[in-house]
Amino acid sequence: MLPGERRAILGPNGAGKTTLFNVIAGDLAPSAGRVELFGEDVTTLPSRARARLGLARTYQQSRLLLGLTVENSIYLSILGVRKGHLRPVVLPRRDEELRERARAAAGRVAISHKLDEVVGSLSHGEHRQVALAMALASEPKILMLDEPASGLSRGERTLLTDLLLALDREITLILIEHDMDVALRVAERVTMMHEGRVIVEGTPSEIRADKLVHELYLGTAFGDE
Amino acid sequence: MLVAVVGLTVTASVSFAGAKAGVVKVAIMTDCKGAFSFGYDYDSGGAQAAFAQYAHGKVKNKNKPSAGMTGITAGGKQIKIVGYGCGNDTVPLAVTETKRLMEKLNADVMVGPLSGDEAVYVANYAKAHPNKTFIIGTAGSQDPTLQIAPKNVFRYHGDGAMWNAGAGEIAYKKLKWRKAAIIMDDYSFGWTSAAGFIADFCAIGGEITKRVFPPLNTTDYAPFVRQLPPPNQVDGYFWVVGGSGTAPSLKAFEQAYGKLDPKKLYGNLFFAFLGADKVVAPKVAGAYVGGFGTAPGLKTKAANAYRAIMKKYYPKLPPDDGFVYNYYNAAWALVQALNKDGGAIGSKLQAAMPRSIKPAFQVSNGGVLHLDSNRQGIQDQYPLQLVKGANGAVAANVVGFVPDVDQSFHGLFKRSSPPPGRTQPKCVKAKLPWQGKIKVVKNGVITKQTIK
Amino acid sequence: MNPLRWAPKQRLERCIALGALVLVAVWPALGLNAYWSHQIFLQTFLFGIAAASLIFLSAYGGMVSLAQTALFGIAGVIIGNLATKGGAGGTSKGLHLGWDPTVAVVVAVVMTTAIGLIFGLVAARSAGIYFLMITLTFSVIATYTLGQVTKISGFSGIGGISSYTPGWLGDVLAHPDRLYYLALGVAVAVYVLIRYIVRTPFGLSLQGVRDEPVRMSSLGYNVALHRTLAFGFAAFVASLGGILYVWWSGQIAPGNVDLPGTINLLVMAVIGGLVRIEGAWLGAFVFIVIQNYVRDFAVPGLSFGGTLFGGSFNTIVGIIFLVIVLASPAGLMGAWDRAVAELSRRRGPPRTADEPAPGPGS
Repeated sequence: MLPGERRAILGPNGAGKTTLFNVIAGDLAPSAGRVELFGEDVTTLPSRARARLGLARTYQQSRLLLGLTVENSIYLSILGVRKGHLRPVVLPRRDEELRERARAAAGRVAISHKLDEVVGSLSHGEHRQVALAMALASEPKILMLDEPASGLSRGERTLLTDLLLALDREITLILIEHDMDVALRVAERVTMMHEGRVIVEGTPSEIRADKLVHELYLGTAFGDE
Repeated sequence: MLVAVVGLTVTASVSFAGAKAGVVKVAIMTDCKGAFSFGYDYDSGGAQAAFAQYAHGKVKNKNKPSAGMTGITAGGKQIKIVGYGCGNDTVPLAVTETKRLMEKLNADVMVGPLSGDEAVYVANYAKAHPNKTFIIGTAGSQDPTLQIAPKNVFRYHGDGAMWNAGAGEIAYKKLKWRKAAIIMDDYSFGWTSAAGFIADFCAIGGEITKRVFPPLNTTDYAPFVRQLPPPNQVDGYFWVVGGSGTAPSLKAFEQAYGKLDPKKLYGNLFFAFLGADKVVAPKVAGAYVGGFGTAPGLKTKAANAYRAIMKKYYPKLPPDDGFVYNYYNAAWALVQALNKDGGAIGSKLQAAMPRSIKPAFQVSNGGVLHLDSNRQGIQDQYPLQLVKGANGAVAANVVGFVPDVDQSFHGLFKRSSPPPGRTQPKCVKAKLPWQGKIKVVKNGVITKQTIK
Repeated sequence: MNPLRWAPKQRLERCIALGALVLVAVWPALGLNAYWSHQIFLQTFLFGIAAASLIFLSAYGGMVSLAQTALFGIAGVIIGNLATKGGAGGTSKGLHLGWDPTVAVVVAVVMTTAIGLIFGLVAARSAGIYFLMITLTFSVIATYTLGQVTKISGFSGIGGISSYTPGWLGDVLAHPDRLYYLALGVAVAVYVLIRYIVRTPFGLSLQGVRDEPVRMSSLGYNVALHRTLAFGFAAFVASLGGILYVWWSGQIAPGNVDLPGTINLLVMAVIGGLVRIEGAWLGAFVFIVIQNYVRDFAVPGLSFGGTLFGGSFNTIVGIIFLVIVLASPAGLMGAWDRAVAELSRRRGPPRTADEPAPGPGS
């Protein structure tokens, strides 16, 4: 992928989309092949080191820090790619600066009104917002979103799409999404996967036109909704 | 919640504020859990029989001494048994139990504890509480009266080393041992008990060629038994393995070196507890056993009178058992002291504590047992031998009488000497006061004949 | 979010805590029942410190550790070996090196923390029941090591330790109030320290690790390192309790760190509640009161095999424990939180963000 590219990955359930994410992020080791980030071989690097290279992701099941407040969650996301994880003292100025960024990130996903609430008490849609805020807040170079729109209302989806479209152009975005509206609006290129393999790749309009895609996926996906 | 809790603390503190004057509060510290849980009734029964006999105590339940006693008076004062300590033979529980008895129930006097490690703690505790008086119940450790030796701790019976006095001489003379090995539980009572053997055996000229230390509560004794020299290299083995380990350790020895030979085994008092074991006990019948400061079956006037007293108050308790006997003497000594000084407590009571008493199994000095300058008894000891009875059961009979055994083994153990341990005491030849004076005991009668 | 909503609960809690603190602070000065100060409260302080180390790991790290009693005991054994003296009038067990007690305290704290870090290093990669089993193994290893390495302890342990206290503390046998106030001070300091630590980057990220270790790793955190350091910190806290304990009881033995000892501490923590640090002292207090008073009442039908008080004591503790845990899995603190939440829910929907919610491990 090229820097700044927006790519959506489509495919039916079990196609290997999330597995691909896990391999790229370092949560799973590949059985064969290599993972490269920014031209470097990172196959053996743990996920935390890849995060520090500028890779951020969300998870299909949100995997949020349910016992922490929204602000602290986003704060931890920012702190994660910086120094001082183990600092056992509060440094008011430095922490306030990070918290300011956290609040700004919360503002971008419109969750500012819940900053002090425990994540575990929020709704599903709010969880998606928090996940996105956490991913954005670490100012990644590559942002991988695993079904960010699932479970969102129509209005929330529109908000999400707008937000993704407004992202800094330098950020490389990889998106797993079942919602064609969101995926095809945001992505510049689309990869279609099936049973662990790439079967089609192309622009959104090429994908829309592709027969195989319709047969395998779009039909069923739309049928589901 | 917390409010309720705080409220509780205040109420509780108030309810414990009123202490009655004119009452001497006595605590009986014993075990109710662990290997010595039987001590709970043996110990309280022994002590209370003395209170009943000498201080007007009324037994509440003849079959259950721990049910308590009423109406005890001595020196014009009421004696109240404020509580029974429920230990388990380990120090941590002795800590909380001692503090409960002495500080919550505010006992002035403790009769107890039951075991050596507990007594070490209690002696240290006594040092910090000089106004309370402690009369050790049945404890085998040296430290309470040798190393720590606070002025308010009294012991009218022997320690673990003293209980084995005479054993070395019997092994040397009767069994013709010259070289022996010793296997001992690797903790303070094991070391102390072994120390008595070593001191006595080496004093007369024997040699200890090997000391082996299995940890307490070992499950597999094979590796330790294998460390012992084989039977053709030593004349015999002193066996100081107790708790649940006595029979398994002997079985392991049998597997390693063949049939058990009672002439090559000499146990400490733990052999006497083997009686119930139907497999191992018959195989070691005939082996000599160290004593416990008591003389089961001794036929003397004093012993018979004591047995009659025990039978009167607590018919189910075995009077010749050391746990019963020692607590009885401790309580009896206390009554004498209270009578002497009008029921005074604290330092007055400590001053009044008798420096000599006449316990049932003491024969030397016309039956008088003296305390040494550390308030430790100088006590006659009775070596035992395992014998098969008519019904096939194995019992320990008294076979010897060792007069006036003192704690120091004639200067070998002193305050400044290293305490018994894996390598202590060293094997040294010495003239012990009782050497050559051990009398043969036959059918409960001390004969004029010395052991040859 | 709305401070007016949760303020009453916090205010109430602070009033109660302050009241309890004032009560225990003036207790000896007012000459109130000494048994309560020197036994009940003092033990509450020092076992509460050990329980706090357990609750810290559980509430903020999602790790229920059974090794805290062992670490508590290890600190005591180190003090016993370093500070006591041999020879005439001295204690006769252990290495009795006769060091300056203050130096011994520092060494004991440092060594225990180091041992905790090593334990943590081994245990950090596991979770849930496996973590529990590994820490139980540590506790068993500690018990057997103390029991069988007779040079440092042996079955009988080391006695007479309370005669070797630092000069700045003085003779705690003659002046038990000094130890009382020291223990109170250390308990308060530990509480404040833990409350502070959990607001620092280290503490916050530890809570993240508790909630979602995988997520934290992909956020850039070294999860195993965090857990290890948390374990080390908890060992540090436990060591303070252990040192106070040996000064209080004067002895330390394998019986202090064996399975019943390990379970007792867990019971204290669970009674208090594994979700809030305050629960450590509440649980220790309730446990010790039960231990001291329930036994004085013989319950008919609950005494087995002649062990009148012993038998019913364990049974009663067991029953009380079961009742508390069944009624409120989060212990007494959890019950309190729920009760307050219930009360305020009837007045309006609040949501407190002040306290950590129970993590997956707790």
